[in-house]
Order: sequence, then C-alpha cells, then structure tokens
Amino acid sequence: MTDSSSPVDGASIEAPSAGRPGGRVSSGFGRYLLKHVGGAAVSLLLVLFSSFFIFRLIAGDPIDQLTKERPVSPEQRAAMRAELGLDQPLWQQFIDYITGTLTMDLGESFQYRRPIFDLIVERLPATLLLSGTGMVLAVLLGFWIGTRSGWKQGSRYDKGHVATGLLLYSAPTFWLGMIVILVFARYMGLFPVNGMRSPSTPPDFWSQSVDIGYHLVLPVLTYTAVVYAGYLMIMRSSILDEIGSDYLTTARAKGLRDDEVRDKHAVPNALLPTVTLVFLALGSVVNGSIVTEAVFSWPGLGRLFVQSIFYPDRPVLQALFVLFSSSTILAVLCAEILYWFIDPRIRRS
Amino acid sequence: MNPHALMRRCLSAAAALLLSAGALAVAAPSAGAQEDDVDTLSIATNQEVDTFNPFKRRYSITYETSMMTYETLVRMGAEGYEPVPGLATEWVTSADGLEWTFKIREGAKWSDGEPLTAQDVAYTYGLLIENQAIHDWNIDFAANLVSAEAPDDTTFVLTLAAPAPAEVLNREVFIVPEHIWSEFADPSADDANQLPLVGSGPFQVTEYKTDEFIRLAANEGYWEGAPGFDEVVYDYYVETDAAVAALEAGEVDIVGNGMQGALNPAQLQALEGQDHVTTNDVQGRRYVSLTINYNSVTQDGTEFGDGHPALKDPIVRQALHMAIDKQALVDTVLDGSGEPATSIIPSIFEQYHWDGGDQLVQFDIDAANQLLDDAGYVRGDDGIRTMPDGGQPLSFRFYHHADNTAYATIVEFATEWWAELGIDIKAEAIEQGSLNDLAYLGEFDLAFSGWGVGPNPTEQLGMHTCAVLPTLTDGTERSSENNYCNPEFDALHEQQKVESDPAVRAELVKEQQALLYADTPVIYLYYQNVMEAWDHTSVTGMTVQPAGGMVTGQQGFTWAYYTAQPTGGEESGGVPAWVWIAVAAAVVVVAAGAIVFVLRRRKTADERE
Repeated sequence: MTDSSSPVDGASIEAPSAGRPGGRVSSGFGRYLLKHVGGAAVSLLLVLFSSFFIFRLIAGDPIDQLTKERPVSPEQRAAMRAELGLDQPLWQQFIDYITGTLTMDLGESFQYRRPIFDLIVERLPATLLLSGTGMVLAVLLGFWIGTRSGWKQGSRYDKGHVATGLLLYSAPTFWLGMIVILVFARYMGLFPVNGMRSPSTPPDFWSQSVDIGYHLVLPVLTYTAVVYAGYLMIMRSSILDEIGSDYLTTARAKGLRDDEVRDKHAVPNALLPTVTLVFLALGSVVNGSIVTEAVFSWPGLGRLFVQSIFYPDRPVLQALFVLFSSSTILAVLCAEILYWFIDPRIRRS
Repeated sequence: MNPHALMRRCLSAAAALLLSAGALAVAAPSAGAQEDDVDTLSIATNQEVDTFNPFKRRYSITYETSMMTYETLVRMGAEGYEPVPGLATEWVTSADGLEWTFKIREGAKWSDGEPLTAQDVAYTYGLLIENQAIHDWNIDFAANLVSAEAPDDTTFVLTLAAPAPAEVLNREVFIVPEHIWSEFADPSADDANQLPLVGSGPFQVTEYKTDEFIRLAANEGYWEGAPGFDEVVYDYYVETDAAVAALEAGEVDIVGNGMQGALNPAQLQALEGQDHVTTNDVQGRRYVSLTINYNSVTQDGTEFGDGHPALKDPIVRQALHMAIDKQALVDTVLDGSGEPATSIIPSIFEQYHWDGGDQLVQFDIDAANQLLDDAGYVRGDDGIRTMPDGGQPLSFRFYHHADNTAYATIVEFATEWWAELGIDIKAEAIEQGSLNDLAYLGEFDLAFSGWGVGPNPTEQLGMHTCAVLPTLTDGTERSSENNYCNPEFDALHEQQKVESDPAVRAELVKEQQALLYADTPVIYLYYQNVMEAWDHTSVTGMTVQPAGGMVTGQQGFTWAYYTAQPTGGEESGGVPAWVWIAVAAAVVVVAAGAIVFVLRRRKTADERE
C-alpha cells in the first residue's frame, strides 16, 4: 500500500506464505487465539453471573412502581408478585435467568410487560444508527484534525483545535445537548427538539428515511462533539511519535511536498496504533450514547437502560448489562486477534 | 489537468445540482400538503405503556388511553367529578341497594361499526366475576359482584353481595366489545387486545411505537358526535425541559400531567412569557405528607423496626405538627403554587375535603414547647430534650428522597423549626427504592410520602384501615400507609362505603379525616398545584375538570381532548421542504465529489505511470 514498509514488516509478512516454519507459526497463532478466546469466555461467564447479583443491589420493590399511582390491596400485590415471578425463591430466579439468557429467552420487562428480546431488537437499530454515525464522524474528524494538529505542533491551528476539542470533551453531554436543543431547535427552529421521527410523516421509505435523518442531526452533532477529541488527541500523539523518524527525512529528501510526506508516509504509520483503538470503540457503539439518547429522547438501548435503572426493571438491566459487556468483550477479542496480524512483535514473542 | 475539462465538469455538476434540487423542491411541498389534512393534537408524555388491556392497566398513561378508547356506564362530571350519564343514560337501585339496573344508551356503536348493546356490558362485568385473573386483579370491587345480566339490548342488571353505591358509580369498568373479546384465548393477558383497538370512546389507539409515540384516531361515529381533532398523538420526551422547548417551538400542543413530575414553577414562568402559550396553575390532586414511624406493628401485634419511642406519644407528634409553618413551605418550596394541607383528601374534592375546622393546628412554636414541657420532655445541657424518664434524647432520623429537591428544602426548614423545640434532626438523603424499603421495614423515624388522590375517597382512606396492616415483619407487604389502625376509623370507613346519600357519606368521610388529624400518624404538608401549558394557536375549547381546573390528568372521561378544537393554525411537524432540498443537494455534491475523485485518481494514476 505504501512504499514505507520497513524490512521487518516485509519479512514477517513473508513468513507464513513461505510455509517454512509453517507448523510452528500456526500453532503459535492457535495458542494465542485459544488464550484470548478462553479469557473472553471467562469474562463472559463472570458478567453473566455478576449481572444477576449486581442489580439486586439496587434497592426497591418493583411493585411499588407498578402501584405508585393508586393504592392496592394485599391480594392485588400478591397477584402482581406472582405474575412477575417475584414470589419464586432466589435460587429459582437465578436458574431461570441463566437458562433463559443462554437460550435467548430474556424474560419479560417489568415496566413494559413485553419480552425483553423484542425490546432490544426494536431499539438496537436506533442506537447503532446514532452512535454508529457519531462514531464514524468522530473518528474521521478526530483523525483529520489530529493529523494536522500533530504535524504542526504548537501552531495556532494545533492550539485552537486541541483547546476546542478538550473543551467539548469535558462538557457534560447533558448540558451540551440542552444547549444544542435550545439554539438549533428552540430559537433557530431548524431541527426538531427530540425523538427519532415525527408521527405525521408518511410511512413510505423515503419520507421515513429523510425524517429520521433530519431528527438524527442534533443528537449526532452532540455525540460527535463530545467524543471526537479522544480520537483527535490519539491521532495527534501518534503523529508526534512519527514526526522525527528517519523515513520522513528520506521522504522529504526525495523532494516530496510537505502534505504528501504527511499523508503518504507519516499517516499510514501513525494509523497503526489507532486502528485497534477504533476497534475497541466499536464495542462501545452499542452502549456508547446513553446520555445523548436520554437528552434527545432517542428510542435506543441507552435510554432503555436509564429508564430501567430508575424503575428498577431488573430483567432489562440484567439483559442490557450482559449485552453491553459482551459486545465490549468481543470487540476486545477481535482487537487482540487483529494485533496478531498487524503487530509483528506479538508473533515473535 | 486540462482547465477546460475541469470547467466542463464543474458546470455539469452545478447543473445537475440545480435540477435535482428544483425537482425536490417541487415534490416536497406536495408531500407536506397531505399531512396538513389531518388535525393532530399532540401531548407530551414520558410514561411507557404497560398494557392496553383496560382490566390490567396500572399506569396513568394507560388509564388515559383506556378512558379515550373505551367508555364507562357512568362518567365523572367536568364540574366536580359527580356521576353523570355515560353509556348508561339512567340507573336505579333496589331498596336494599343490592340490585342496580342501568338503561344502556341506544345508538352507541363500536368503532368498527357494530352496535353496542347491554350484552356487551353484561359480558364485560361478567369478566370481572368469572375470569379468575381479571377478578383477582380487581378484587376489591369484583369480590362484591354476584351477577351481571342483560335481559334485553338496553337493560343491564348488576347484583351485589353487599351495598356499595359509591363503588358502583365511581368504579371505572371500561366496557369492551363482546364480539371481539370473546374471541380472545385469554382476555386477561397483557397483550390480549391488539392494535388497532376497537372501543366506543371518542378516540381509539391505532398505533404505538415504544417510547416514540402513541397514536389515537378519532371515532367518527361517536354517539355524542365526532371529536374536533382527527387524531391525538402522545409524544415521548424523556426530559421535561425538552418538552418545554418543544412547546415553545410549536412541536407539541400540551405539556402537563402526562409528564411524570410535570412542570415546575420555573418552567411555567418561562412559558408564561410566550405569546402562543396558555399556562394553567390550578389545584391538583396530589398531597405531600410526613410519615411518622410511631406504630410498626403487624396484625397480630408483633412489633418491628426501630422507630424512636418518643414518636409513640401523640403529644410529641402534635408538637412536631405545630412547629411546621405550612404556608412558608408553600411559598418557598412550591413558589406559591399550592396550599397548606389539612387532610388526606385534597381541597380540589370540595365535597369530601375536611379543612380542619376548629381543630386546625396553628403554627406556634411556643405552644409546641409548652406541650413538650408539660409532658415531661426536659431539655438537657445541650438544649436537646430527653425522654421523660431521662433516657434517650429526642434525636430523630429524617429520610428524604435523594432525587427530590423540594423535600430537601422542607427538611432544612423543619430542622430549624424543630431545633427550637429542642429536637435534634439527623437528615439523610436516600435513593427512593432504599427509602421505601426502610420505611416498610419500620427502620426510620420521619420520612416523606405523597399520593395523587382519586375522586373516590375510599381508596386513600382504605390505606389506613386495620385490615391492611402487614402480617409479616419483612417489609414486603406495602398496602398500609404507616400502619395506622383505629377501630373507630374502620367503623366509619365501613359506614361510608355503603352509604347511598352523598351528603351523609361526605360527613362520614370528613369524620374519618378528623380522626386521622387528631391521631397524627401522618402530617399533611401541602396540596400541590397542577401546572400545565398548551399552545392556544393550535388548540382551543378544551373543557377543564373540575370547574376552573385542569385539562391534563382528567378522571372518568376525557373531557378536554374530546371537546378540543383545532384552531386551523399552521400545523408544525414533519420535515420542512428545505431539508429535502438540502438532502438532494448533499446527494448531488457527494456524487459529483465521487466522480471528480475517481477522475482525479485515474489522472494521477496516469501521471505515475
């Protein structure tokens, strides 16, 4: 892809294809894979077990929430407990939970009285759309600005962008979201205040898509504004690591223009450490926008989680906790496998 | 690069952009025009739907949707929650009060066009009697039903085991269509009735997108005439601030009781400044009270919990009561939007509310000190009183909800007032769930409570009867409000339940309240106003309940939304035309950019070679 491949890279890429010490290499990868898959499996099991107990620490009787708006007789309370399965002994509830989770039967939500699986399937697209779009934008923006910031370290461009990025990074998402709503929705009237679509939009595909896109602008803007600084800083420091390298001097000596040296030589190398980081971030796309979802009433998983904490809707919390944790664990696993291929040091150790 | 080629490319891209933007600009308004034919009343809410099954509903949002979709025999009036004809045009009761005969309205239809008859009514009440799950769910009323019959299409006869006039007239049994419900495998299931619902009310639920919106379509064939709006949409807002911004921006028409925790005085003041918004700050149905742990005891007399012994003494409870300036709390905590409370039935229910009469406790710290002095609670060296036997100091734990700033302010005030009595307060903010747990375990001294009260006082008063005292000490039975138990109160309660003369019943209910006041298991602090606001440029003519009252959170019939009329003003919402143009422009720019990029790549590839 570039002309900057170092001799080390070249050699290591050759190794498997040459098939010379083929057996040793593949068993090395096998062991590496086994170790990390095993680790991930242990983590998943721990998450599965702990999730049941963690949310029992949240005090409160779910029946209080169900009945807070009118007094109920003891008989009615008992009927509700039975219907929610709360009259079962703890060990029975635990066994039901484990077998249920393993068979994808996540049980019913207290507050919605619907299967949790359906609730999650319903909300997952909304969350993926919001944090997925936000993540892509944040990565692109962060990398773009970070590259230029790092390249001209100490310049006005660098200082200005680092300051802006960090300011937004440290702003509470909730507060920033309300400001965005007030400015763009309330006073300028350009965008809707919240929600994912308007009930009056015709049901055809194009109207729905445009309407959802229209509602998506402010939440994505907020989400991106808050997280892009992370990528900016990482890309910037990666560039700073490369900036004194000999190969850049060589590239300059060839007479390449400054932005060519940057884009064609420095950036590809600086990207290596950050790519795995992006992969890690992918794991958090599922749960990455809890506050943004709440501010903009975006009907996603994060909002479901928040609402369930206040309830407390334990079955939903358990299921979401397992989902959030396992997506992170799986992303970490993928990142580790990816390391094997892009970082030769791991293969040699 | 060839400058002519570049020029050509730029020109063609610009032309394409203009063309498609123009095409969309033409298309967009026509798409918008279709929406404008529908008059939509949009109401902000933040409460999820538990079930659309009217027999199983628990939440106020599903109460509202049930009330709009289905109807009851007897409505609660807009004047003062009085019984007025609904699906029944008139009713008579037998001399012994056990047999009720209702005349069912002729000409009422289900929203699918089928006629509504007394058979449907008999079927519905029959479910309460025969369907075990529905029976259990409504046990307090259903246990008293003997039979439900329809001798002909316009007559319905309900037979009771014991007289219960108030319950029969106030109990909202939503009449469901037999021709649809008898097909259900299990009418008690939460998902028994699927959308679109078929009912006889002014609006039927047709669509629900979880946490996005609930849509109800107008019943054009409603017996009282089609409602003014074509549809009602409940729009979901997590944050009340966002709902306020939406009302200001004209995106939502009504913000009020649909939001749990409704509007606060600051939000209402902000809305008052808006030309297109009408604000309403009126008496509400909610009281806030102090619960005193004075009697943690089960039905068989087992004591539990660790309440302070001084609180068992009515003198101490009265002294605490005397040293609370309720008007000051209303002024500071509620910013004046409320009134001092005397009893469990808020003043909005004029008929049943007891105002304290000559027993009214006045704010008087000196008198309270005198009470405690006389009872032998002597001040120690540190100024804190001790028990008359000289033992334990009067130091009370005061728990308040961590998420409620109003309660925190009240705690500050009360701590100062009570310090003047020589009473020490250890205040602690506790998360709601834990606080409830502690309260029902009896492990507290003072805590907050509060309820939204319904038009039938029996429900609230019933929480103070001996029958609902817990049988276990583990805090899982939570039907009693502060374990109050007074046989005299119970006797009055049974009397008022069967009393058929409303005036006599009201007197009995007031006597119950006077007893509660004297015994002071609970100190009622204030009645909270309802604060609501609506966009009068899009909705008008809403009937309030009670007279001079509210449009949101109505009871017994959806007076406001049924009578609401669209003003014909411009409906906002939907995607404005400029967005379509922007999308088109963006598509064109991206496409053009892609072409330019590919061409450039090819060019540079050429150059490399």
